Amino acid sequence: MGSALRPLAIAVEIIILMGVIYSLFLAVKLSALDFGLEEKYQKFIDWVFMIMGCLALVFFVAHLITFYPRLLALTLH
Amino acid sequence: MDSLTRFWTGQEVYIMKVFLPIIIGFLVLFMGLLAIFALSIWWRHLRLWHLGKEENRSDRGALRLKSLLAVTFGHLRFWKELYPGAMHFLIFWGAILIFLGKIVRLFSYPVGLTNPPQAIFQYASFVSEIGGLLVIIGGCMAVYRRYIVKPSRLETKPTNTLIYLWGAVLLMTGYFVKGYRIAIIGGSVVPDWPFWSPLSYLISRFFLILPTDPLNELLVWHRVLIHALPAFLFFAYVFITRTPLQHFFLSPINIYFRNLKLRGVLAPIPNFEEAETFGVREISEFTWKQLLDLEACTNCGRCQDVCPAHLSQKPLSPRRMTQNLKDHLSREGPKLLATLPDQRQPEAIMGTTVSEDELWACTACMACEEACPVYVEQIIRNIDLRRYLVLVETKYSSEVRLTLKNLEKSNNPWGMGRGLRTDWAKELGVKIFSQLPDPKILFWVGCCGSFDARNQKVAISMVKILQASGIQFGILGNEEGCCGDPARRIGNEYLYQTTAQANIEILKRYGVKTIVTLCPHCFHTLKNEYPQLGGDFQVIHHTQFLMELISSERLKLTKPINKVITYHDSCYLGRANQIFEAPRRILKSIPGLKLVEMERHRNRSFCCGAGGGRMWMEEHIGTRINQMRTDQAIEVKAELIGTACPYCLTMLFDGIKEKGKEETMAAYDLSELVDQSM
Repeated sequence: MGSALRPLAIAVEIIILMGVIYSLFLAVKLSALDFGLEEKYQKFIDWVFMIMGCLALVFFVAHLITFYPRLLALTLH
Repeated sequence: MDSLTRFWTGQEVYIMKVFLPIIIGFLVLFMGLLAIFALSIWWRHLRLWHLGKEENRSDRGALRLKSLLAVTFGHLRFWKELYPGAMHFLIFWGAILIFLGKIVRLFSYPVGLTNPPQAIFQYASFVSEIGGLLVIIGGCMAVYRRYIVKPSRLETKPTNTLIYLWGAVLLMTGYFVKGYRIAIIGGSVVPDWPFWSPLSYLISRFFLILPTDPLNELLVWHRVLIHALPAFLFFAYVFITRTPLQHFFLSPINIYFRNLKLRGVLAPIPNFEEAETFGVREISEFTWKQLLDLEACTNCGRCQDVCPAHLSQKPLSPRRMTQNLKDHLSREGPKLLATLPDQRQPEAIMGTTVSEDELWACTACMACEEACPVYVEQIIRNIDLRRYLVLVETKYSSEVRLTLKNLEKSNNPWGMGRGLRTDWAKELGVKIFSQLPDPKILFWVGCCGSFDARNQKVAISMVKILQASGIQFGILGNEEGCCGDPARRIGNEYLYQTTAQANIEILKRYGVKTIVTLCPHCFHTLKNEYPQLGGDFQVIHHTQFLMELISSERLKLTKPINKVITYHDSCYLGRANQIFEAPRRILKSIPGLKLVEMERHRNRSFCCGAGGGRMWMEEHIGTRINQMRTDQAIEVKAELIGTACPYCLTMLFDGIKEKGKEETMAAYDLSELVDQSM
């Protein structure tokens, strides 16, 4: 039962982690604009963060596939 | 094993090895963040507010504090709209509960409260869990409304989306930390978990876990970091940048410093003769409170939803105007602060941030201020901008030009000869106040009652009522002038002050003590604004006076009027002076008359379209506001529309004609109905 749940659990974890990453990047961009960064740099920032986001995604997928738990708490106890 | 011991079974290792170092790190960094927050408040807000002019808003501290607590914690002004009110209530109180729970838990570790564990920790856990649940419910309601319902009043910026997403992530990762801890121990071993941590317990049933304790400990460490680090950065983002969430401190400040005087009372321009400029041209000419208003605006759009100008497709949205001015302040304020005062070249507001059409569309009806949950004041700000346009730039429409010219030359907006002011009363035997031996009451007829054919009938009815009641009264006759309201609301403060001072001089000369007015605009100006120029009189609106006559049985209403009537609340009688009951009690005293209310009534009443000097301007853009109000009366199947304001009467009278409803509907002043029923 645990192994059937594992891909789904990993997917949920990845969504949350990417939510964190997206929030952080967007916050950095909006803060920079709020502190006076010119709007013309927006596109550049978007690209940088998109690349970094993709790298983070690859890392999370690899990391979770390798290390994510396999035992279901309910069956263990 | 007691429940407290069971609750802590297997938790000590996480508390001491995982949470404690992270919490100590978080607290240390958070202290630094609070210092930066304080600095940011000064640098990004206080300095900007100090650009504005002085204004005293520190009086009646206890009342201000009481009002702040009631509005903030009781959400007094939010419940007018159930859905957004409930939504904000859930998020607000949920956040407070999370905060309380977290504070207890954060500080209980470093001060040793949890070693051995104390019961308070269980309560804190429970409070946080319930708080989180409230935020989830409120947050879902907010997301549904903003992204699915999409009401036109809501403007969604990237920062709004960010806050929802980030908030959701923080809540989820928070529940995941506890959920995973419960999963590792096993729900069957700790039967109290479901009660103290209901949501975390629920999700713990679906967690996959690692086979050994050290590995699980490592995973908890991961989860805590994934929760704590974004939480810290979230606070940093909210504290330092100009996010909508900064309303958590800007709104309470604005509520504390709110206007405690009557709404709609304009302040005179001080030292008029010596002043070099009038009104507001650039941002630093606002008062500090007006600048605070701009920053405190939460962009919720309640003002836009009730604005008659916006609803009738005029270019004005009070929300957008405030937000545009806020952007102007954020853009121009730092530039001004970085320049020496004598070298400053501030950008003009009119033409860049606010358009003339937008400004002149305002009917000064105060519906926006009534709706605003954080007491943003818009009317005085708009009049300040108008004062600059009128007194400095002399930029206004040809209709306004004609009105001001008429007021200057003939002391009435129509430009009728002063000698014609009493023509309406010729046959009535009305006495001139100065000729009465023992005058008690001055009947202030007003320009509409004196010159406008429809409103002359109202004045005649009022005279008949006064005579029938045996009241000894007089009128000023040709010495009466315009009260000054049109000039003041248009922005010509100079004309208003000269007009008002002349009136005050006459009123004082004749020893006038009590004044009864027909017009709420005259009433408001004489009662609330003349004292600023030394004119203190007892001013009564005719609805209050009539009500008193009916209550004391000096006036008996016997003839039935078998009609369905709806009462239209005048903005300056209702919202400005809170007179809602007297007109309704008069109507209920008339036999046969059945009162039905329009959807927008009392303090939510919809303007007739004539306030703020709009009586004297054409409506070139959008739907006519008077027609919209007439439609609202038609909707409730009213046969009569009752009003207590000559402007409203004129507008509704026209509205009925324009809608082709003259045969089935009519507009009357309340005094006319009383006269008919006598």
